[in-house]
Amino acid sequence: MVQDNKIKILSAKQISIQNPLSEEWMESPLAYTGSYVPAIDPEFRQFISAGDARRMGKLLKRALATSLSALKEGGVENPDAIITGTGFGSVENTELFLDAMVREGEQMLKPTQFMQSTHNTASSLIGIHTRSHGYNSTYTQKGMSFDCALYDAWLQFRLGKIKTALVGSHDEMTPVFAGFMRKADHVRDCEICSEAAVSVLMGTGQDTPAYCTLDGMVILNRPDPDELADAVRSLTDGNAPSAIMTGMSGNAENDSWYGFLVKLLPNIPLLRYKHLFGVNFSSSAIGFYTAACCLKKGLIPACLTNDGNAIIPEGGILTVNIVEDRHYSISLLKPILCGGL
Amino acid sequence: MEEMILKLKQEIIEVLNLEDVKPEDIDNDAPLFGEGLGLDSIDALELIVLMEKNYGIKLQDPAKGKEIFKSINVMADYIQKNRTR
Amino acid sequence: MAQNRSVLITGCGIICAIGNGKEEVLKSLLANRTGIGPLKYLKTTHTEFPVGEVKMSDTEMEQAMGIEPGTPVTRTALMGMIALHEALGEAGLDRDDLKECSFVNGTTVGGMDKSEQYYTDFIENDTRNEYIKTHDCGSCSEMIADRFGRFRYITTISTACSSAANAVELGADMIRSGQADIVVAGGSECITKFHLNGFNSLMILDHGQCRPFDAERAGLNLGEGAAYLVLESAESAARRGVKPVALLSGYGNACDAFHQTASSPDGEGAYLAMSKALADAELRPSDIDYINAHGTGTPNNDVSESQAMKRLFGDAMPPVSSTKSLTGHTTSASGSVEAVICILALRNGFVPVNYAWANPMDDGIVPNMELKPSHQLRHILCNSFGFGGNDSSVILTATD
Repeated sequence: MVQDNKIKILSAKQISIQNPLSEEWMESPLAYTGSYVPAIDPEFRQFISAGDARRMGKLLKRALATSLSALKEGGVENPDAIITGTGFGSVENTELFLDAMVREGEQMLKPTQFMQSTHNTASSLIGIHTRSHGYNSTYTQKGMSFDCALYDAWLQFRLGKIKTALVGSHDEMTPVFAGFMRKADHVRDCEICSEAAVSVLMGTGQDTPAYCTLDGMVILNRPDPDELADAVRSLTDGNAPSAIMTGMSGNAENDSWYGFLVKLLPNIPLLRYKHLFGVNFSSSAIGFYTAACCLKKGLIPACLTNDGNAIIPEGGILTVNIVEDRHYSISLLKPILCGGL
Repeated sequence: MEEMILKLKQEIIEVLNLEDVKPEDIDNDAPLFGEGLGLDSIDALELIVLMEKNYGIKLQDPAKGKEIFKSINVMADYIQKNRTR
Repeated sequence: MAQNRSVLITGCGIICAIGNGKEEVLKSLLANRTGIGPLKYLKTTHTEFPVGEVKMSDTEMEQAMGIEPGTPVTRTALMGMIALHEALGEAGLDRDDLKECSFVNGTTVGGMDKSEQYYTDFIENDTRNEYIKTHDCGSCSEMIADRFGRFRYITTISTACSSAANAVELGADMIRSGQADIVVAGGSECITKFHLNGFNSLMILDHGQCRPFDAERAGLNLGEGAAYLVLESAESAARRGVKPVALLSGYGNACDAFHQTASSPDGEGAYLAMSKALADAELRPSDIDYINAHGTGTPNNDVSESQAMKRLFGDAMPPVSSTKSLTGHTTSASGSVEAVICILALRNGFVPVNYAWANPMDDGIVPNMELKPSHQLRHILCNSFGFGGNDSSVILTATD
């Protein structure tokens, strides 16, 4: 039996190259140039004791801080599901362990570094910290990791298995791995390699205020034009959204992949966020977060639009993420109607 | 011995990343695990690595580690008797 | 809560230390023959650890799959391809059919076998860069899937030792929700120096043959392998005219929420995962005919899992065994490797033996040492518990 209760986005928090755990980027975004920019960290002590933090690298601290913030704002202590995405996992500790192993030999290696390099450490840490025994999983599908985690949550809601879910995506970088990202074309010309941690709390049936609703989503691998058109049609159902949040970045090849939207949804403004937040495997989580923030505020700020004009998103925002011109993820976020905020 | 104990405390603080702890905060006879410093089984494994790296003492059995790491004094005593570096 | 749409298993494939393919694996299980032995393929200084390696070199696997020499490919991907090939073959799915199929792969080390080998090349010589693209888990899944055709959806789950089990659960959820008709789900993982050394730093490797549920057990033996289940809706199987080899009648995922590398003393996460699976399948503990335990042979897991099983099954404890003393611990692939072993048990009427067991634990279950079942096997519970407390259980049921 498939449930159709609306899934509400109850809260969304980020740590990135914009000011952390805040929406200041909407009015006064920080501007960057350069090849690799690390994230700005909040004061973690407000979330994590020194004792607990001793074993956590950047990714884990950020995952926990954004999660606890999102849970607090959304008024949930133990989410029914904790589902996380990460493209490369805890890169810092992977690098330290690998480096030591390769350069100093296979002796006297540090267990903490190994422990942290397992990709599900963030998701399980959040479970441990909040004492949540519910559904817990981790997705590692490069730039689709968040989308896959979101899809799993969406399925769990549709099956009626859960009422709340904390869905996140977290990726950190080191200078060495930032170099790898470019060599492997995961970050392209004109793009800044960055870091991001995003946690989104969602739920069905709550009376608490919400940012917006998640009305549907589709993920496809190598869709043909008809499948893409069907996907967009099934989500929009004849009602065009007010804008489309895209993963366009200023890189010509990457941006060309989004061309199909102009044909399918002509005259709908295309939004961008990568020029503000950089590029990493958790970028699509940032895209989702920015769309949710716009709907919460009832305004898409100029910094996200192509022509520098703000937009009122009463028709909702379609978010589109394309990875390597093969994986397509499309989801529809709609504003809360009357009395939701 | 006092110098060695100070060095050992600094090494422990560094290896376990105990940011807020200074050597003078650690009582030489206080338990390191459970209460006291509140260390756990992963910390014990890190201390086993430290023993080998800094003092050339190889511990094969993690259970033995818990006995040796009872307190700073017990640990220092064991190192004194068994170090090869 | 049971859902309306049944999940059939219409094919499966496996490669591990006890065989390449179901037939070889079955022979080894019936002969109680372990695949654990001295290291042969992995180049490491830690030759003191017995392991369960797949008995093929990378070159031999490349040749078996018809891959051009020099093509960047990783051992995890190669094993995955071999297992996927067998699964698709049994299910009768060809290239064109894959357009309507999804692929859910569990792996946590991904392409690390090559990354650790070429790490200094990447950094110091700017060479071997084609292996940077093969490092991450998602790329590994793509490499396996792309060999066979275009899958509609590809995703990768990395929950350590429960990855493949969680992949199977996601596949089943996709079918039950009507999102998919066919999902190929499972996992693949090769042994790497990275995690061999990682597990060694945690001091949970046995220097000898591992002995799950034995009072004198001293740790696990690492294994490697891949296995996939073709999960299919009843309507799709009927349309295609294929018969199921087994049913996936229930499953559950829960978080132990205790510690990153140790299970709670009362096995709460394990208890919840097993309970959820039973409730999902609408079965009582007494309906279970055999439990394929996670049973790694570590002091911690075996006592924790025993507690959880005792809490749930009490006096109705069915035969329990771990097959990890035969295959080694195949980490991310273990959920599907062991699910295929359970399917072989259902279809061939035997109960896998807990190889190498001798001494009963004071506080543990006494495992099964008899191949012959006392009655017909109908429902089998298969456990996979990962680091971080990611616990999953699935129930395989015989077809009528």
